[in-house]
Amino acid sequence: MFDVFVAFRFLRESRAQTFLILGGIVLGIAVQVFLNALISGLQADLIRKTVGHAPHIIGTTPDAEPVAVLPSDPREKTIVRIVTNEGGVKVIRDGAVIGSQIEKLGAFTVILPVARGSGYVWQGQKILPVILRGADLETADRLYDIRRRLTAGRYEVGPDTVLIGKDLAAKLRLEAGSVLRLSAAGGGEDLFRVGGIFDLENQVLNETWILLSLARAQNLIGLDRGLSEIELQTKDVFEAERRAAELRAVFPSVRWRSWEETNASLLSALRSQSSSSTLIQLFVLLSVTLGIAGVLAVSVIQKSRQIGILKAIGTMTRHVGRIFVIQGAVLGFLGSVLGVLAGAGLIFLFQGISGGSPSAFPFSVSFGAAAVSVAAATAAGTLAAFIPARRASRLSPIEVIRNG
Amino acid sequence: MAEFLALRDIVKIYGTTARTTALRGVSLSLAAGEYAALIGRSGSGKSTLLNIIGTLDRPTSGEMRVDGRDIFALDDDGLAAFRGRTIGFVFQFHHLLPEFTALENVLLPFRAAHGRTTAAASVRARRLLERVGVGDRMNHKSNALSGGQQQRVAVARALINEPRLILADEPTGNLDTESSEAIKALLREINRESGTTFLIVTHDRHIAAGCDRVVEIDDGGIVRDFRPPETTADEAWAALAPCECRERVRGDGGPAPTRP
Repeated sequence: MFDVFVAFRFLRESRAQTFLILGGIVLGIAVQVFLNALISGLQADLIRKTVGHAPHIIGTTPDAEPVAVLPSDPREKTIVRIVTNEGGVKVIRDGAVIGSQIEKLGAFTVILPVARGSGYVWQGQKILPVILRGADLETADRLYDIRRRLTAGRYEVGPDTVLIGKDLAAKLRLEAGSVLRLSAAGGGEDLFRVGGIFDLENQVLNETWILLSLARAQNLIGLDRGLSEIELQTKDVFEAERRAAELRAVFPSVRWRSWEETNASLLSALRSQSSSSTLIQLFVLLSVTLGIAGVLAVSVIQKSRQIGILKAIGTMTRHVGRIFVIQGAVLGFLGSVLGVLAGAGLIFLFQGISGGSPSAFPFSVSFGAAAVSVAAATAAGTLAAFIPARRASRLSPIEVIRNG
Repeated sequence: MAEFLALRDIVKIYGTTARTTALRGVSLSLAAGEYAALIGRSGSGKSTLLNIIGTLDRPTSGEMRVDGRDIFALDDDGLAAFRGRTIGFVFQFHHLLPEFTALENVLLPFRAAHGRTTAAASVRARRLLERVGVGDRMNHKSNALSGGQQQRVAVARALINEPRLILADEPTGNLDTESSEAIKALLREINRESGTTFLIVTHDRHIAAGCDRVVEIDDGGIVRDFRPPETTADEAWAALAPCECRERVRGDGGPAPTRP
């Protein structure tokens, strides 16, 4: 308590120094908080646009090896080679088992078993290629956010009801309630009613996707009870590749691909942005540390007489050291709390400038990050005080007392 | 009077390569309640001795016992705790902390010893400040006080933990005659009131002459130890003359210095 009392008094009585260093810390931390919010906001925005409504990991059957029907004989002059896919549609047979095992891992927010196949939609004279996708609608909504983006009809599928994209509907002049004929590449064919029309803000999907119930799609495509893919979303977008590697080890019969594998260039851009942001924050922290260390080093020299007296009147060496460690911690803590507030003020200011439109400055304000800033600056301040504190605790009272 | 503090064969050597012997085997004991002066030329070793008695410095060899306890067997924190509770310091340059008020300065040794102040300690500090005559200025920052007032506050600070020994190093060395007389009288009064042992390092013959006992140190050893009350005033005055003056007196048999 004595050390706290003296530490606060020293800070209060060296007002100019205290305010200067506090100002420096506040500025540094404010910039740190502001940049952090901006950069992570931009990243979150970009990631949300890229993979927010898409699977992070897709499990498919391994590509079928093309098989030569006629063996090529090197002795023959003419080489004839006919290549075909073996065995037609590849199917994940044990999809239900894999699904429940994946669920037990607890690492995924969405597990979507999909029956997928190519096919055609027939409407009058027009035949258009489409992708037939059968999946549980509720689960699919959590991944693709379809219900909110329905432009007509209702969000439901049944034995004879499907959902189609808005561009396909426009091309075929279909609306909710219209009837269309679907045929799968495997041979199945049937009539369906358009239950609803969606707009996934992506022309390819809006032109080609037909959503069915899982059972109906399996039946139409001819998968029996098998799946063609399992789509997964991870809790943290950036752990997708690690999780995919785990899945590869556990379920080698399925080919697992993470979004990170398919979006490598975007990813490296995001990574370098993240690391430059980390670098900036480290440098801010370093300058906070050096600033506090410098101010306290000067303070120890200025207060060497006081330190000598405090020792002479019975203050223990470790308490003398603590007086400075406490000052460092207080400067780091107070400066960073004020800095976080200033940073938050800066964010509000910029949001005000952008007229409240969140897209101009997509800040991601995180209390966790603010708490980390405060904790890191406090720790840095404490650490910075160690060398001055050691100096102070080693000061001999004899010299300073004798020489006034 | 009971023996309170005893030094035995205290040797202090500074430096390792160029060795300077500051004290060469000093033995000295102080009785409880004694009012003693320590005199000597500069460089005689009296400051070194005072630092060792004050436990601000450790002797190279020899021991110091307080109430029979070997003090230098304590570690540094033990010494600090012992010092805080047993010894009060009055320095030549008062050495108050400018960051604190007079009252807070007086309470600092109490806080250092107990971590925080108590209502009783506060009351005691106020009484002490009134006792030393600065009761009306106790809430002023220490550097807003005059030199004499600061030294009074320093005396109050030395007394807050009710120490058994007060070490005063040239307590009037930096004061004008009037303040100097007042501090001198104050220290003596406190000694009589509380029975606190005093050891006062001084160049001032007036102070030394008013002490129960005078210990003179020269070249790292005690050269004289006498009691002024047991001598005549003129003898005491002569005895307290600067060394070089005494040597001259002895050498040519000239007139002995007389009291002005």
